[in-house]
Amino acid sequence: MKLKVLAFVAGGLAALITGVPAWAHHSFAASYDLTAPITVQGTITQVLLRNPHSWFRLNVKDSNGNVEEWSFEAGTPSGMIRNGYKADIIKPGAEVTIKGFRSRDASQKRGMLRELTTADGKTYGMFGPQESK
Amino acid sequence: MRRSTTTAAIVTTLLLSGGTSRLLAQTAPVAKAPRTADGHPDLSGVWWRGGDVGGRGFAAGGRGGGGQQPQTFAGLYQPSAQAKAKTLSDKDDPSLGCNPTAFGTLNVSLFDVGAVGQIVQTPKFVIMLTETYNGFQIIPIDGRPRRDNVPPSNRGDAMGRWDGDTLVVDKTNFVDTNWMSAEGRVSFHSDALHIVERYRRVDANTLEIEATVEDPKVLTKPWVVPKQTLVLAPFDQIMELACSTVDSQSLIDGDVAQTSGKK
Repeated sequence: MKLKVLAFVAGGLAALITGVPAWAHHSFAASYDLTAPITVQGTITQVLLRNPHSWFRLNVKDSNGNVEEWSFEAGTPSGMIRNGYKADIIKPGAEVTIKGFRSRDASQKRGMLRELTTADGKTYGMFGPQESK
Repeated sequence: MRRSTTTAAIVTTLLLSGGTSRLLAQTAPVAKAPRTADGHPDLSGVWWRGGDVGGRGFAAGGRGGGGQQPQTFAGLYQPSAQAKAKTLSDKDDPSLGCNPTAFGTLNVSLFDVGAVGQIVQTPKFVIMLTETYNGFQIIPIDGRPRRDNVPPSNRGDAMGRWDGDTLVVDKTNFVDTNWMSAEGRVSFHSDALHIVERYRRVDANTLEIEATVEDPKVLTKPWVVPKQTLVLAPFDQIMELACSTVDSQSLIDGDVAQTSGKK
């Protein structure tokens, strides 16, 4: 199943961030199951601060010790940058925990990022630094 | 350009963001709205809601709104439109194909589906630049007649005029193939869509926008959009926010290939 890279969705993302998923913009809702939260821990392999949405990729060990690469879609680079996110804040090799929502296609190791926590306890939201964190 | 200050010493603004309240105190005097050489208010600047999505200062619901649930565009659908809406879902949203909306997710047409926009004002035009989709709208303000030789468009054909210090923008000639995207709901419209917006720069840092949306083919009555209050952003250039319909896995794989060895 193919997933489209979606148009920017400011309003709905704001709602998601502030905990009102019911108001979530349908474009993200079309790709991600907002009723299927997921938490993964792993090692960052790449951060793509790019249009239209940024991505965090990480290696995650499954219960058998096998490594799988997951990708989490975050906010627009312009929004993240304006919120204070910088490209080198989270580098490859960083140990992180990501909370998000799974792709509607469960066969894909992909999700929508809701919160990223680094090993030292710093948290970032979909659009980088969050005022509520 | 004339600039002066008001005597206001303290302005307290309550920001509401998804149920989280923050009280901000601004102690600096607020400058009056600047004016152009012809005496009209100068609306130029980058405007947002005090922050970007999810960031410090962002007011998800806009400023100045009351606690009452606002009326929505789709909430005014005629029975036939209600029936049509039931046949549509999120995946039918034309903005997923990078089509600009006819209005805007945050009820601000300047934003389209984003949260920031830039206005550039000249003696002949007010030009509204939208970060998402690299959008723009060129609004004549020199009294010329409306063009009659342009095809319908996603954002409509806009004409401007001054009503005192308020810029009135009248938009017609829309296609019927995109959505309003007002408040993120299924919100198709017809080609009879007619939007009238009123922009008032109340001081140097504040832009108020009121709008009325008519669509006699699908609405039971005009939709009066809740007043939106924007603030001047602390930067003077928007960025690019491109949209792509390329499969995301292909994009990711392409990025990985391009950046291979650069990790």
